[in-house]
Amino acid sequence: MTTDPSLAADATIEITSVSKWFGQKVAVSDVTCSFGPGITGLLGPNGAGKTTLLRLITGLLTPSDGTIRVLGEDPRRAPAVYDAMALVPEEDAVYTGLTGRRFVEYAAVLANAPAGRAAEEIARVGLEDAQDRPIAGYSKGMRQRVKVAAALVGRPRVLVLDEPLNGTDPVQRAGLIATFREMADRGHTLVVSSHVLAEVERMADRVLAIVDGKLAAAGDVAAIRAAMHDIPYRVKIGTDVSRRLAAGLMALDGVISAAVRDTGLLVETNDLPGLGTALPRLARELDARVIQFEPEDESLESVFRYLVRRR
Amino acid sequence: MRAFFAMTRVSIGQLLGRRWVILVGLVGLLPSIVMLAMSRTQGAGRLAASFQEGPLMTLFTIVLPLTSALLGSVALGEERREGTLPFLVLRPRRREIVVAAKLLAAWLSAWLIAGASGVLAAIVLGLSAGIWQMVLPVIVATGVSTLAYAAVFLLLGYATRWAVLIGAGFLFFWELGIASAADSLANVSLFRIGLTAFAAMVHGSPGVIRDVLASLTPGVWGAIAKVLVLSGCSVGALSYVMRHRDLT
Repeated sequence: MTTDPSLAADATIEITSVSKWFGQKVAVSDVTCSFGPGITGLLGPNGAGKTTLLRLITGLLTPSDGTIRVLGEDPRRAPAVYDAMALVPEEDAVYTGLTGRRFVEYAAVLANAPAGRAAEEIARVGLEDAQDRPIAGYSKGMRQRVKVAAALVGRPRVLVLDEPLNGTDPVQRAGLIATFREMADRGHTLVVSSHVLAEVERMADRVLAIVDGKLAAAGDVAAIRAAMHDIPYRVKIGTDVSRRLAAGLMALDGVISAAVRDTGLLVETNDLPGLGTALPRLARELDARVIQFEPEDESLESVFRYLVRRR
Repeated sequence: MRAFFAMTRVSIGQLLGRRWVILVGLVGLLPSIVMLAMSRTQGAGRLAASFQEGPLMTLFTIVLPLTSALLGSVALGEERREGTLPFLVLRPRRREIVVAAKLLAAWLSAWLIAGASGVLAAIVLGLSAGIWQMVLPVIVATGVSTLAYAAVFLLLGYATRWAVLIGAGFLFFWELGIASAADSLANVSLFRIGLTAFAAMVHGSPGVIRDVLASLTPGVWGAIAKVLVLSGCSVGALSYVMRHRDLT
């Protein structure tokens, strides 16, 4: 059992001290982490090195330093790994001259999958009605789904997805997330890179944040936030007596600031549990009504914002 | 093998489905037009030699290199530049299979266009002078040279987006310039490999073919062996590069 949050139990993908540079530019710097069954969200701003890391995992790029093992093999040297691994790339990497059905059937042949599998996967992503139209006429969301169908056709144990929800509408997004969750529940390893934080939050069991090519944080969202001791928590408190409560809160240990807002207070504290314990007592003493207590920054977005700002 | 043929089939569809292939096809009519013009002005007895001096040389120095260079360089090069390469290479099979399927697709597509261009000119000759024995040599010779060009340009097209420009330089400065001037360099001319096969199959080749071949000895099997070795080297080199270098 590992205690390092960047390492997964039952790892199927192991990345050890991997760096990748292109000339003078370092895209990934000394990253060590692993991925296991379930969905791991790979987060980072544009240019952080997410796509490079995914390409290293899939063997499209060779590490400048370090090693990568997928199911115990080096993907650059053992093509057999691709029996169990697939990639959904970020780019519009589809053959626009083919119909959706032909494209997925082609993927099935290349993946040594049975002939009927293409129809199953097309149905799974909800493209039955459009399957006989050329991909050239597909919307961005449809192209994303046909790429996912083509990747799933080989029933990969390890699925690497680079921004798979780009261009999809809310219904399509929900459908794809359900598909990914279903695979994760069956024990498949899914690595999903995204900058749409809310969606990663919805589907990922675990998050790795990459900033400037380095692993900035790992674990579940609350754990990552808790590990950031140097950044105070921000809490929204809704109350009918903002000014009096603000003055009372400022007297508490750990409270750094209490700003009065239209709908209540925005409090910064180093001791969130302490604030949670003290607030009801203080409210009783001041005869204040507290209608909201919401840690503002336990969302992935704020954690992510902190990580990026900290660099 | 199922995957190999699927890759070849889809690639041929992609290559021949491009709009500019129509333009290449129109350029392919050039040898027939030249042959047609000759047949109007020359007597039947002279046409066999004229076919080799005019339409055949147009085919081998313009149509065939252009067609093969274009199709060879986009076959794998555009997959790389358009981002579809991972679809082919992240598969449980050796890189050699992918490269060989692409080479086969580029070759068959180029042969179809260049071969049809030559056969059409040979048919015009047949209809004008009743000489039909050029058809088979043209098919074999175009097959040999298109494979040579496709093998070289598959590799070049993967490495650089300027492959066709480099190819034009190679054709005009090297093949038609330096290699024509220096007899000993005729060996490293791709269209001449096909012409050696042609010359071996057609008795009494005119002076222009002999001049172009210079020190090369006509021979069908020798030409086929040469292009097979060239193709093997191309597949081997490209597979090595794809295994050891970044694939994006």
